[in-house]
Amino acid sequence: MSIDSSNIIKPFVEKKGGLMPALHALQHHLGFISKDNIAELAIAFNCSQAEVIDVITFYDDFRLVPIGKNIIKICQAEACQSQNCKQLLSDLTSYFSLEMGETSDDLNVTLKEVFCLGNCAVGPSVMINDTVIGEATTEKIISHLKNDATQKL
Amino acid sequence: MNEVIKIFIPNETSANSVGANLLYQVISELINDENVEIIRNGSWGAFWLEPFIEIEKDGIRKGASYRNINLSHLNTIEEFFLDFEKRNPFDINEIDFIRKQNRIVFSRIGHEDPLNIEHYINTKGYQPLLTALELGPQKIINQIKASGLNGRGGAAFPTGIKMQTVFDQNSSVKYLACNADEGDGGTFSDRLIMESDPFALIEGMTIAAYAVGASKGYIYLRSEYPLAKDFLIRAIDIALDNNYLGNNIQNSDFNFDIELRIGAGSYVCGEETAMMESIEGRRGLVRSKPPLPAINGLFKQPTLINNVVTLATIPALLLSDQSDFSQIGSNKSIGTMPFQLSGNVKHGGLIETRFDISLNEIIEDFGSGTKSGEPIHAIQIGGPLGIYLSSSMLDTTLTIESLQELKGSVGHGGIIVFDNSVDMAEQAKFAMEFCVKESCGKCTPCRIGSVRGVEIIERLQKNKTSKDDATLLHDLCETLESTSLCAMGGMTPNPIHSIIEFFPNELIEK
Repeated sequence: MSIDSSNIIKPFVEKKGGLMPALHALQHHLGFISKDNIAELAIAFNCSQAEVIDVITFYDDFRLVPIGKNIIKICQAEACQSQNCKQLLSDLTSYFSLEMGETSDDLNVTLKEVFCLGNCAVGPSVMINDTVIGEATTEKIISHLKNDATQKL
Repeated sequence: MNEVIKIFIPNETSANSVGANLLYQVISELINDENVEIIRNGSWGAFWLEPFIEIEKDGIRKGASYRNINLSHLNTIEEFFLDFEKRNPFDINEIDFIRKQNRIVFSRIGHEDPLNIEHYINTKGYQPLLTALELGPQKIINQIKASGLNGRGGAAFPTGIKMQTVFDQNSSVKYLACNADEGDGGTFSDRLIMESDPFALIEGMTIAAYAVGASKGYIYLRSEYPLAKDFLIRAIDIALDNNYLGNNIQNSDFNFDIELRIGAGSYVCGEETAMMESIEGRRGLVRSKPPLPAINGLFKQPTLINNVVTLATIPALLLSDQSDFSQIGSNKSIGTMPFQLSGNVKHGGLIETRFDISLNEIIEDFGSGTKSGEPIHAIQIGGPLGIYLSSSMLDTTLTIESLQELKGSVGHGGIIVFDNSVDMAEQAKFAMEFCVKESCGKCTPCRIGSVRGVEIIERLQKNKTSKDDATLLHDLCETLESTSLCAMGGMTPNPIHSIIEFFPNELIEK
């Protein structure tokens, strides 16, 4: 691997409660937390590997396996419920032939549900990586995936 | 020399989600004239208008909605100006949605580039901090106690008393933790402060930290808010560069710095003790109280925990015209509340107003009724742990007291409208399902009770008249309420009770 994980971890070791930011940084650079990373983190933070796994598995955002290049999070909270988000979710699962939480074989897309993106007044809302899409439709999401270079934050 | 023409295009999550960024790219490519300038302002919070583009020319500022409008066919900026004039631009401060509000905490949003610290200072920003540094801690706390401010995160605990408790602790290390894990469905007031007036939060934190004796502050921000993260990082840097954070702030002997921590997709981490666990680098399991965080909190030190809006309100309380805030309302419902209107409503957005406004005024006068045009069937108030009201209860006022009487709460101020297509039994089931997904798992009633709750409601969906299941659900809710460690399990029954009581025969048939 070209990126040295120990360099990524290093700045967080001295921080109080630095494990979470270290996990975020690792995942940002490497895509997921590997077994080797867990061993490394346990040594760096002077805790057991079980404790590291404990933290990773509690939080929805952290993952132990590679995931799609595009993470599509479909809001299923109350405000979006009033705007037919359940229909949108079922349209998207059938369009991509994926269930919630699944990743496409080519590692291009992962579908996830999320509870509130704070975009409630223009729902239903979907987040693709770091971009929120309001009044979301299947067409808008597909077109975003095609043009996402022009839609940076 | 021509006067500069300013074009305001908001840079805010909701505006961007319906195209503000795209319009910015298109319009900025048209500009070849140094007398035309684009400003990425915050949002005014009138989200149905977004992307709301404004032009300021000859001292007059007007705007128009560019929702679903593609400008990629334009060739020159003059063509854009012509297009703009055709859309009958208006002054946003003259529309009822803005005019009828009482914006004190959100007075700056929408006006300017939120990272323009000169604008912040020119609009009374950092005057409260300078006042605070002169007053000294106890007088600040007295003033906040006198203001009647209660926490805006959900629990509505008196802010001044919390500050006094932290101040009174004899400890050389104290912390301030800002809860920016705004997780309730239908809420976005914290996000709007962080994206459209981040210095208000930073100043509020600085004053609060000075008052209680903390030299380190954390902002625990949910990972679903990447743009807010971006704004906070830059605003903290600018505040440091201008000596509003760091050592010897504004030539005083007060040192304070802020570290941003990002959550990782857990709702329960918005519960203050779970949030502390998360900041300390562990699973977000709630702690039992006592000890109170104000006495033994983050890293076992006295810790002041408030949410974003509460902290961003503090500067306004120290201005000489603070009575503006405190003279509004009565009992516990003092000051203004940022209600967040969304769901099936024509005009959704942020409404900062008095508490004793009726639900009808919010939905009809501000929201202009349902988006679908169908009758209202239900209104959820106060997030997933709040209650559902029926369409016959629209005269309910939104004070802390009147919602308490209905066994609900204002919570974080979310108001979600549902039309008559909603299935209330499904909403009841969702309340339990949400608890299944988001329970931290530490206490049994919440962890297992929520799973049993989903099962019972599924059975009731097949047979609404089952007396056994109705009794079982009632007993289960009682167990959750009286034995859960925190509000997650303890308040999950609230929406279910309200559906049983206010929507007879929709979940249980008697």
